[in-house]
Amino acid sequence: MRWLQLLTASLLPFTALAAKKSTGDRFQDARAKSLSVGHPLQLDDASYAQLTKAPRDYGVAVLLTALEARFGCALCRAFQPEWDVLGKSWTKGDKDAKTRLIFATLDFVDGKNTFQSMMLQTAPVLLYFHPTLGPNAKVDTQPVRFDFTTGPQSAEQIHAWISRQAPADAPKPSVSRPINWVKVITVTVAVLGGITALAVTSPYLIPIVQNRNLWAAISLIAVLLFTSGYMFNHIRKTPYVSGDGKGGINYFASGFSNQYGLESQIVAAIYGVLAFATISLALKVPRIKDPRAQSFAVILWTGVLFGMYSFLLSVFRMKNGGYPFWLPPF
Amino acid sequence: MAAAVEDGQFLKQATGRNTRGLLRVIILCLIAGAAVSSRLFSVIRFESIIHEFDPWFNFRATKYLVQNGFYSFWDWFDDRTWHPLGRVTGGTLYPGLMVTSGAIYHLLRALAMPVDIRNICVLLAPAFSGLTAFATYLLTSEMVPSPSAGLLAAAFMGITPGYISRSVAGSYDNEAIAIFLLVFTFFLWIKAVKNGSMFWGALAALFYGYMVSAWGGYVFITNLLPLHAFVLICMGRYSPRLYVSYTSWYALGTLASMQIPFVGFLPIRSSEHMSALGVFGLLQLVAFVDWVRAQLPGKQFQMLLRALVLAVFVIGVGGLVLLTVSGVIAPWTGRFYSLWDTGYAKIHIPIIASVSEHQPTAWPAFFFDLSMMIWLFPAGVYMCFRTLTDEQVFIVIYAVLASYFAGVMVRLMLTLTPIVCVASAMAFSQILDTYLDAKTPKPATENASADTASVAAAAVLPDGLRSTRNPIVGIYSYASKVTVVGASAVYLLLFVLHCTWVTSNAYSSPSVVLASKLPDGSQHIIDDYREAYYWLRQNTPQNAKIMSWWDYGYQIGGMADRPTLVDNNTWNNTHIATVGKAMSSREEVSYPIMRQHEVDYVLVVFGGLLGYSGDDINKFLWMVRIAEGIWPDEVKERNFFTPRGEYRVDEEATPTMKASLMYKMSYYNYNALFPAGQAQDRVRGARLPAQGPELSTIEEAFTSENWIIRIYKVKDLDNFGRDHQSAVSFDKGHKKKRSTKRKGPRVLRVE
Repeated sequence: MRWLQLLTASLLPFTALAAKKSTGDRFQDARAKSLSVGHPLQLDDASYAQLTKAPRDYGVAVLLTALEARFGCALCRAFQPEWDVLGKSWTKGDKDAKTRLIFATLDFVDGKNTFQSMMLQTAPVLLYFHPTLGPNAKVDTQPVRFDFTTGPQSAEQIHAWISRQAPADAPKPSVSRPINWVKVITVTVAVLGGITALAVTSPYLIPIVQNRNLWAAISLIAVLLFTSGYMFNHIRKTPYVSGDGKGGINYFASGFSNQYGLESQIVAAIYGVLAFATISLALKVPRIKDPRAQSFAVILWTGVLFGMYSFLLSVFRMKNGGYPFWLPPF
Repeated sequence: MAAAVEDGQFLKQATGRNTRGLLRVIILCLIAGAAVSSRLFSVIRFESIIHEFDPWFNFRATKYLVQNGFYSFWDWFDDRTWHPLGRVTGGTLYPGLMVTSGAIYHLLRALAMPVDIRNICVLLAPAFSGLTAFATYLLTSEMVPSPSAGLLAAAFMGITPGYISRSVAGSYDNEAIAIFLLVFTFFLWIKAVKNGSMFWGALAALFYGYMVSAWGGYVFITNLLPLHAFVLICMGRYSPRLYVSYTSWYALGTLASMQIPFVGFLPIRSSEHMSALGVFGLLQLVAFVDWVRAQLPGKQFQMLLRALVLAVFVIGVGGLVLLTVSGVIAPWTGRFYSLWDTGYAKIHIPIIASVSEHQPTAWPAFFFDLSMMIWLFPAGVYMCFRTLTDEQVFIVIYAVLASYFAGVMVRLMLTLTPIVCVASAMAFSQILDTYLDAKTPKPATENASADTASVAAAAVLPDGLRSTRNPIVGIYSYASKVTVVGASAVYLLLFVLHCTWVTSNAYSSPSVVLASKLPDGSQHIIDDYREAYYWLRQNTPQNAKIMSWWDYGYQIGGMADRPTLVDNNTWNNTHIATVGKAMSSREEVSYPIMRQHEVDYVLVVFGGLLGYSGDDINKFLWMVRIAEGIWPDEVKERNFFTPRGEYRVDEEATPTMKASLMYKMSYYNYNALFPAGQAQDRVRGARLPAQGPELSTIEEAFTSENWIIRIYKVKDLDNFGRDHQSAVSFDKGHKKKRSTKRKGPRVLRVE
């Protein structure tokens, strides 16, 4: 019997440890829970109210979101992994809980009342609650709100925003993304495989790589693409075509510094035809042995050149109203 | 041009080389004359005046150089810009341009021709364009044997709008001399590669050094020449010629470039220059292997050596990457980085994205600047693939790279223009040479003789282009010749007309002086800028600090001679953002900022009355964005847009917009010009609120004739210690709403 008593006595301290799990300190509880699940806390109406109740000596960052597919919130789903990474790395990096900040997520499914009480029409919304007690307290109890007006944000951008809201002297654990081992392995395998494939196929590839016609084609295509405004489409993300409001299609954008995707392709094609006609006149025609065929080729290519150039000028007049020059057909 | 070529063909039999040489010189002189005179529109229409923004700084620096001598120019610390920071001007500019015009100034004085330095600065760019045409002639003549190509290229280069855009009289900018240096350096480099000559390599290095001293775009040469060498090595065309020319250029050129204080140790420390260093190292390796191979035959050994070269190359690149990551080598600067990652600048460096020259190029701009050359250009590039000599490889690389850069940034059209001229001249002269040949081949007999020659040629060049497999026959009928030559003449004529029209209409406006047509067709000059700047010069103290957006900094420094807070040398983003914050905040926020920076006057550009769209309200969003980059919590772009996402200035403008200093300064008293409630902004086509904005901390000091420039004076602190709002309302006779007396002890005013 004695040893049983001893045992119970020796176990007492552990009960104390176990009891510490629910101390009534909301911050410690939430933090422990969030550490154990490994991502921001999942809240519902009750726990949201509990966590953000007015006298609090810690800060809370809550993401109000709607993840389920039926709500069709693409932004919410795009941002959720970033939010998890941010919450995890902040809580993990904050070893001795100096920042006193809790990350939490409230889904619309679990928190309809909260959404209604705040009259939220859109998701996601990020709220930051200042501490109302302690050294970093602020008088204003209203949370700071971040609307995702500029599209999906990265974890780093939100980190910067939260860091600005958080007290200046508190530490700010930086975002650490887990290493994507699958990606690393895929890339390595792909690179090694590529090298092997190259080594195996090199007897067949080298004649192709050394082919002058191929390089000529690549260079010409590159030049034609770039001089017809491909990079403009790429950078400005211009529409491919647009309607004219009457059911038809506008092929050419109005305005000198404006263009559509199809328009630049048309122009590249015009340039290509013109350049090809020039090459034919300069290089191919003098090599035709039959005099009649040669005269025909000259007439043909001169005609194509003239007509295309005339068309190009007319297109350019469309873009630049005051342009005075033109050639006959168009 | 056609006539000249015809002469050249004619004279082949009749007279000797001398006549043709003389003709060529005369033609080149005429081309230079045409190049210079087509750039004089603005001088004739307006006056001999410096244009735009940056040239005003160059002009001011040149005056300083001429007045104070070279050494004090080298050590120049300018305390009249970037108040209160100042700028180490001597160490942060490219001195080539100023030194060139200073040298010309002193030379002319030594020849007893006292010319005003302003006229030298105004006419420097046209003068150098003549030289550029000559350099283009030299470069093209190295590429193809036909002399007509060189002359055509020179003519194209002389009048193409792509180059005129940056070199009209008065456009006193670095590009004015830099394009000549660019083309000439390329010519010397080609010459060096062809001859394997250390002399030409050293000359290339010399002009490269000059180029470095003149323009930041020298990096284009720094990367293009190594790329050329690298491609040649990859094609298996390594030769001692390449080794000699590249090493002499690199060693001497790098030393020369390091003499410029602004460049300093960058050539060995920054990523932009690493490709040149890497190719230099690679070339040493290849040369060593080449030597060993000559000594020791043996297939295994060669394999080993090849592996060795590859391994060293990979290790070298890896080392460079490692050094860059660890910070020993500076990473790419934002401006260059944004050329590759086109979305970078927009997110990280709004100040680069805000400049209109840094926008991508739409296709009309290409046609506008290059006209028919834009479709001759691919044909010329294709023709380079016929024989693909070392120098023609250069053309191909240059063409592809430069068209990419020109597509990403409008201003880099300038580097594309020379190669477009060269390539299209090659294509055009090929046509002219073929169809202007007076000889007509006879069908049967000619064929046989040509065939034997062509079989031999095909044996030498087995992998030619498809279009050149058959032998050249010639053109049989005169009708074909006349058709093609006639059409070519029409194209050339149209090209000249296009160039003249574009130059006259688009590129000859000084932008300091605006011109408009009155209903009766006569010209009306709008001279608000100079009116306002001279007002500042004559009515404010010598040391009055002027706050304006950075675009006008150089002009205020040059024309008004007053210290500014920020200017077009955008070296300090935070300082610019400070000005942006002052402009985009409420008066209560702006006033302390202006007091802290000792601002005396604020200058805004307002085009609402005249319909001048380049005004500050249209640039305002960039000010907001740049300020938001530094103070994201105090300035928010979102607040300047209505809930429906519109940028408005009328009744529905957002409260933040209406309260901003910029809005108030632009529209202050504006409705007094119109009948009540009908004030109209002609740029944005908006009707303004009936009640105009009120100003309390600043007061209107000057408004130019057409309201383009408005200058406000920053009020001193109130004599009674009131804040400005209450002082203004007291002056207006409004009663104080709260009649409670102020309690508490009086405090000493601390400012």
